[in-house]
Amino acid sequence: MNNNKRRLVLAGLISFSLIAAACSDDEKSEDTTTTAASTESSTGDTTESTEAPMELAGGEVFVSGSSTVEPISVRVGELADELSGGELAVTVEGPGTGDGFKKFCAGESDISDASRPIKDEEAATCAEAGIEYVEIEVAIDGLTVATSPNNDAVTCLDFPAMYALVGPESEGFSNWNDAQALATELGSTITFPDADLTITGPGPESGTYDTFVEFVIAKIAKEREKDDTTRTDYTQSPNDNVIVDGIEGTDTSLGWVGYAFYSAEADKMKAIEIDKGDGCVAPTEETIADGSYPLSRSLFIYVSKQSLADNPAVASYVSLYLSDEGLAMVSDAGYVDLPAERIAASRSAWEAAQA
Amino acid sequence: MAVTSSIRESAGTVVRAGLTGGKRDVRGIVFAVLLLLCLLTSLFMLTILMWDVVAQAIPVFDKRGTSFLTSDLASSPDKAGVSQGIWGSLVIAGFVVVLAFPVGIAAGVYLEEYAHPSRLTRFIQLNIRNLAGVPSVVYGILGLVVFVQGLDGLTGGRSVIAAGITLAILVLPIIIITTAEAVSAVPQGLREAGFGVGGTRWETTRDHVLPYAAPGILTGTMLAVARALGEAAPLLLIGAITGRLASPPGQTLVDRLQGKFTAMPIVIYGWANEVNKPGKKTGLTFEDLNAAAIVVLLAMVLVLNGAAILLRNRFENRRQG
Repeated sequence: MNNNKRRLVLAGLISFSLIAAACSDDEKSEDTTTTAASTESSTGDTTESTEAPMELAGGEVFVSGSSTVEPISVRVGELADELSGGELAVTVEGPGTGDGFKKFCAGESDISDASRPIKDEEAATCAEAGIEYVEIEVAIDGLTVATSPNNDAVTCLDFPAMYALVGPESEGFSNWNDAQALATELGSTITFPDADLTITGPGPESGTYDTFVEFVIAKIAKEREKDDTTRTDYTQSPNDNVIVDGIEGTDTSLGWVGYAFYSAEADKMKAIEIDKGDGCVAPTEETIADGSYPLSRSLFIYVSKQSLADNPAVASYVSLYLSDEGLAMVSDAGYVDLPAERIAASRSAWEAAQA
Repeated sequence: MAVTSSIRESAGTVVRAGLTGGKRDVRGIVFAVLLLLCLLTSLFMLTILMWDVVAQAIPVFDKRGTSFLTSDLASSPDKAGVSQGIWGSLVIAGFVVVLAFPVGIAAGVYLEEYAHPSRLTRFIQLNIRNLAGVPSVVYGILGLVVFVQGLDGLTGGRSVIAAGITLAILVLPIIIITTAEAVSAVPQGLREAGFGVGGTRWETTRDHVLPYAAPGILTGTMLAVARALGEAAPLLLIGAITGRLASPPGQTLVDRLQGKFTAMPIVIYGWANEVNKPGKKTGLTFEDLNAAAIVVLLAMVLVLNGAAILLRNRFENRRQG
């Protein structure tokens, strides 16, 4: 009797662990078969496109870096998968420009996406590790300073005004009015409304933050001998959708995001025009592309020369990236196409790197 | 059965009335109402939360059907799916079951049944309790240093193996504590009865203590698996993929285990960061997909817990019978 019971208990315990293990095993094998099947089917689909102009080498490519550039790299990766019948396997992640360069200079990634040029100290780390790279401009993004559509009082800001609202000396300003004295002192002609100031923006880990500081704050801060940083008392988030929600959530909000996040919800946000001294310019695809919008920034990919030499798949992927088909993914991802001469410059930089 | 319980109930009412002098127990009623209100409030919040998520998820399952469950990560909300996330999370759960369950249960039993109560034992117990409260990011750093960088020959670097081992270690203290507590709640008489008929410590533990403590232990393992499935922070440090996870042709199971991976919480994290532009075909956004991914993750936890609850009920029935 006792023996029986004991056996039952043991059997119960064993069967539990077996069931649990078997469950995950089942899922695994099931899942592998589905992937295998989908690979097969995509191979079937692409037999007609074997006459594609580009010969794509098979292999694995790992892209890390900016979450802003990630959508473009993912789309080109999907294109590569489609055109090569799954042979060119590109994995993409977007932990941020800074984290991306850390991995890149440690030799972990083949390509690093960046929403700003590499910094000197990052370049030094790369050089120390013996990682040589080629920088290729792939797209343009317009940093969009935005507020709620209900905020009629604000349509245009100049650089001194933005410095007065968000710069290092604005700590504690909770009303747009509070920044008036400082803005006027700096030569701004903007009159601020008497309204609550609620700021949401990216934090220092983000390339979007770095760009804003570099474009808007750095010069004035240097003249006034202040640190080139923003105020710290605003809502910071690495998640762009949180910033978008923050801008849409309050009538007299202020914040800045990449153009793609603004254009996807342009009806719920109002882009503030920017005046660099030549009049107010709104961010549109045209003004961002021709550079008349003052907060245009370039998006880059950095390709490791070591990976390029070792792995033919990397060259295939970058060539596809810079082909007309690849660059079509830029606008698909919500960013602005490079003008023709800058595309030519990127392509010749790429050809020089391959030679 | 029903008759005896109703008799017992009415007897209780009579006795209570006699003790309180026939007056109504106003304070008692107020207290009961308060308790009920607290329960309703938390249930209400939970319902709102669930409703919010499920309502947003329904159109996804409606328009995408099973393709949402079988597709890989993708740039368009028309095509993206959670298959890679489900796979990663199930492998991680597998590691927890295979590594953390046996080790955790054995350690808990040792602490309660075998270890002599001494200062050292108390010190160890205290430390395990503290470990259970250590923020998960810390375990992520451990995983990064030891399993990603130190043992990359075995784990393959930033792989699902490294993630599985890290999360198994993360939930180990929870399993040890709940096991130890379940074992210490076993009545001393049971052990003495076992020793009394000449059983050794091992026989007594195996035949009396463990079966009696099994329901409590299973509760602990349930909590552990749910925790492991929901953790995102350690996986971010270990390097789970957010954008696109390619599966090269000819990839074996070992390649896949040692290669780059993603898991459900990371899929959700990544999608929360995507531009919310509706897909051309389905009109769904990544926000909608995220609600559906949350439903899938909840369903996974429920299924795993359901299995544990079934087992627990079987043990409990046997104990009473």
